Amino acid sequence: MAFNLRNFSFSRMGLPILAVVGLIVAVIFIAGRLPDRELSEPEREPPRATGALADADRVAGSGVVEPSSEVIQIGTALSGLVTDLRVQPGDYVAKGQPLFTVDTRAIRAQLQQSDAAIGEARAAIAEAQAAQATASRQLALYRSIDDPAAVSRAEVIRAEGEASAASQRLQLARARLDSAQAAAASARTELGRATVRAPISGEILSVNIKPGEYLSTMGGGGGAPFIEMGETRPLHVRIDIDEEQATRLAMGAEAVVSPRGAAGRQVKASFVRAEPLVVPKRSLTNSASERVDVRVLQVIYALPESAKGAFRVGQQVDAFIPAAKNTGTKDAK
Amino acid sequence: MIWIAIRMLTGDRQKFYGLLFGIAFSTLLITQQLTIFVNLIERGASGAYNVGEAQVWVMDPVSRTTDVAYALPSTALDKVRGVRGVEWAVPHLRAAASVRTKDGDLEGVAIIGVDDATLIGLPKRMASGSIDVLSQPDSVIIDDVGTINMFGADVDPIGERLELNDQRAVIRGIADSIPSFTSQVTLYTKYSQALRYVPGTRNRLSFVLVGVSEGQTAAEVADRIERDTGLKAETRDEFAQAGVDFIIENTGIPTNFGITVVLGFVVGVAIVGLTFSLFIRDNIKQFGALKAIGVTNGRILRMVAAQAGLVGFIGYGFGVLGTVGFMWAFSGNPFFKGFYIPWQIPLISLGAVIVILAITGTLALRSVFKTEPASVFR
Amino acid sequence: MMATIMDPSAIGGCKPDAAICTRGVTRDFKAGQQTITVLHGIDTDIRAGELTFVVGESGSGKTTLISIMCGILYPTLGEVKVFGTDIYRLSDTELVKFRLQNIGFIFQQYNLIPSIDAASNAAVPLIAQGMGRLEARERAKAMLERLNIGNQADKLPNQLSGGQQQRVAIARALVHEPRLVVCDEPTAALDASSGRRVMDLLREVAVAADRACIIVTHDNRIFDLADRIIQLEDGRITHDGTTMPDGH
Repeated sequence: MAFNLRNFSFSRMGLPILAVVGLIVAVIFIAGRLPDRELSEPEREPPRATGALADADRVAGSGVVEPSSEVIQIGTALSGLVTDLRVQPGDYVAKGQPLFTVDTRAIRAQLQQSDAAIGEARAAIAEAQAAQATASRQLALYRSIDDPAAVSRAEVIRAEGEASAASQRLQLARARLDSAQAAAASARTELGRATVRAPISGEILSVNIKPGEYLSTMGGGGGAPFIEMGETRPLHVRIDIDEEQATRLAMGAEAVVSPRGAAGRQVKASFVRAEPLVVPKRSLTNSASERVDVRVLQVIYALPESAKGAFRVGQQVDAFIPAAKNTGTKDAK
Repeated sequence: MIWIAIRMLTGDRQKFYGLLFGIAFSTLLITQQLTIFVNLIERGASGAYNVGEAQVWVMDPVSRTTDVAYALPSTALDKVRGVRGVEWAVPHLRAAASVRTKDGDLEGVAIIGVDDATLIGLPKRMASGSIDVLSQPDSVIIDDVGTINMFGADVDPIGERLELNDQRAVIRGIADSIPSFTSQVTLYTKYSQALRYVPGTRNRLSFVLVGVSEGQTAAEVADRIERDTGLKAETRDEFAQAGVDFIIENTGIPTNFGITVVLGFVVGVAIVGLTFSLFIRDNIKQFGALKAIGVTNGRILRMVAAQAGLVGFIGYGFGVLGTVGFMWAFSGNPFFKGFYIPWQIPLISLGAVIVILAITGTLALRSVFKTEPASVFR
Repeated sequence: MMATIMDPSAIGGCKPDAAICTRGVTRDFKAGQQTITVLHGIDTDIRAGELTFVVGESGSGKTTLISIMCGILYPTLGEVKVFGTDIYRLSDTELVKFRLQNIGFIFQQYNLIPSIDAASNAAVPLIAQGMGRLEARERAKAMLERLNIGNQADKLPNQLSGGQQQRVAIARALVHEPRLVVCDEPTAALDASSGRRVMDLLREVAVAADRACIIVTHDNRIFDLADRIIQLEDGRITHDGTTMPDGH
C-alpha cells in the first residue's frame, strides 16, 4: 500500500513504527551500556619470567641487593667526640684508609706528659751517673792511701756508702725512663686507635655521624651504625626462597633478577652460594608485632657489572630461577 | 486475509489498547525486574570485574569471594610466580577497616591494597584524578559511590583527610568502579600502605592476581596453580560467578524477584488472555462467516497469529522501551550505578511474550475452531 | 467421517440437469442420551436458473437442509452432489475450497466485518481466493455499482443503513460469480415493500442460467416470487411445486 497521509492510521502504522523506533532505541541503549569486562594489559610492567624461563619450570623469589662483602657496620674502639670525618656516602675507599677520628686531645696530653717524664728520667739518670762518678773517684782515692792515719776508717766506709747509693739512684732513674717510655708508647697507640680505618676496600654506603657528635663504644643513638660500607664490585642479591620450594631449585643456575618497580630491566645473575642456614622470612612490613611462621632458604647471586646502574644496595628485587629438572612440577612429563 | 485480520484487531480500539497494555506491562515488569535482579546479584561479582588485568585469582582454599577471604602467607606470591604459564603475579589485599572521618564519625570501609610497583588491581577508569597519586605518601583513592555515601553528592572529597588505624590517609583520587553488594565505601591504596591501615594479623595477603602467558588459557593455568601450590585458583569469570552464587545462596533476592517476574507473567496472561478471548468472541460471527465462505482453519490460524504478532510486537516494543527509559531515568542514582540490561533479558521477556500470546491465542482459537460454519445460519 | 456412512439405495439417480442433487439425506443431532432426527431421507433436485424457495416452520429442518446442501454440515446418511461433485467425499480442505469457488452466502445478519469498508467486505471471497487486494476491491466496487451502492464503497458497515448493509452482503455473495447462491431469510428484518425490492434485486442479479439460487424463508409475503417452492415439515418434504398449496 502506497503511503498516503490521509489514510494514515495511528494504530496500524503509527504504533508499529513507534515500536520499531523503540526497539532500535532499546538495542542501541542496551548495546551501548553493556559493562566493560574486557581484560586489559597492565599499564606498568609487572615482573615476569622471560626468555627460556617463560614456559619452563621455575622458582620465584624475592630478595634484597647487598654488597658482595655484605654490609659492614663500622664501629669505634674509643668513645669521644668526632673531630675529623674523612669520607662521605658513595666514596670508594681503599683498605686502611682513615674514615674518621675521635677527639685525641686527652691522649696527646698523656703523650706529652709521658715525654716530660722521659726527659725527667733522663735528667735523673745523668744526675745519678754524675753522683756515682764522684763517689767512685772519692772511694778510689781513699783506697789508694795506705796510711791508715791519713784516712780514717770511718771516712772510707762513708765513701763506700756514697758510691753504692749513687749506683742505686742510677738504676732507679733508668727504671723511671723505661716507665716513661712505656707510657709514651701507650699514648701513641691510643692515638692510632682514635682514627678508624677502612677494614676492606669498598664503597661507603651510609654515614650516620657528623663532626662534633659524641660516639660511644656501645654504638650510636637509635642503634644506627656510624658508617656502613661494603664491597659493591660486584653487587650480590640475597634471594629468599620458600622452604617448600627450595627443593625444586636448580642450584648453580643463573637467576633472572629485576628491581622492584622496573620489571623491564631484567639481568642475569650468577650463582654464588646458598646459605647453609634456613632462616625465618624477613618481611618488610614495618610492623613491630610481626610474627613469622615461614622459613626461607637464602640464595646469593652475583649481579653482573653492567647492572650496577639499575640496582642499589638494599633495594628489593624479584627473581626467577630455573627449577631442577627432575624435581620439577608434578605435571612435568 | 492478513490485512483483514489486522483491521479487525485495530478496529476495536479498546481491546487493541488493552492488549497492548497487557503485553507492554508484562514485558516491562519481566524485563525491568529481571534486569534489577541480575544487576543486584552481579554486585557480588563487582570485586572481580573491577580489576581489569587479573585473569586468574589465587586464594586460600577456604576463600569464597572477594569479600569472604582468608589471608595467605606472603610467600604464596612467590609460589604462584614459580608456576609455569604464569606471566605475572602480584599481591592483592582486601580487608575491612574502620575509618574516622573529619567529623569524627566512624564508618566501615573496605581497604584494597594493590601492588606497589605496578598498581595492578585498581579499577580500570578513574572518575577524578590519576592513579599516579598513589605514589604520594598516605594517598588513598575512594570509589565514586562510596564518596556519595560518605560525604554526600555535593562534596568534593579530594584532599579530605581520614584516620585509619591511627594512620593518616588523604583522598587524592576517585575511581570509577561498580559498587559492591553492600555499597560499602572502598579505599584503594598501595599494598604496603594498606598493611599499615589494616590492624595487624600475621598473614595479610588476601589474593594473588595472575596474568596468563600467551598461548595458555586462564583455566589451564588456574588448574596448574591449584595442582602445584595447593592454593585455590579461579579464573576471573569463575570467581565472579562465585560472588554471584554467594549472594544467591545467602539472600532472599532470587525468591523475591522470581515472584515478581512470575506475577508479571501471570498478569500478562490474565490481561491478554481475557482481552483476546473477548475480542475473539466479539468477532466469532465474522470468523464463522469467513469459515462458511471458504476460509480454512489454517488461514484463520494465520489471521489470529498475525493479530497476536502485531499486539506482541508493539506491546513488546513499548515494554522494552519503558524498561530502557526506566534505566535511563535512574542511571544517575548511585544505587543503579553500573546497571545495564543484559541482552539475554529482552530475549527472555520476548520468549515470555510469545508464550503468553501462544497460550491466549490457542485458547481463543479453540473457540473459533469449534465454531460450526453452520452456526451462521442461526 | 460421516461421508463414508452411505445408504447404498440412495446412490445414483441424479438427473443430469440438476444443480444440486440430494439422495437419502438424513441428519441426526444428539441431545444428551436422545438422538433427534432432523431430516428423514431427503431426495430432491435443485435446478439452475431458478429461484428456489425452501420454506417451513421453525424446526422443520430447512436450515439443516440448506447447510448440508452448501457443504457446511455433514449429513448423517445420504449423498449430496453439487454440480456433479459429491461434496462430502471431498477432504475437509477440498470442501472448504469448493465452497469458496462455487458458493455465495447471504446471511440473515449479514456478518459483515465492522472494521473494513464496504468494498473490502464485498471483496472478501476474492481475497480469500488469493486475488490481490486492489484488484479484488475494484471488482467488488463494480458489483456494488450493480447493486446501486457504488457511492457507499468506502464506508464502514456501521455507517450504512440496514438495507445498504444487506446489499453489501449480497455483493459479497456474488462477487466471485458462484454457481450456487444461498440466501438465509433475506426479508426477515424488512417491511413488505423493502422485502419485495430486495427480492427483485436478487432476481435481477443472482438468477442466471447456470446458477442455482436457494432462498430459505418463512416469509409468506414473498412466496409468489418463487420459481419453485420446497416445503419441509418435520424433516420431510411435504410439498414441491411452483406455488404454495392452498392454506398458506
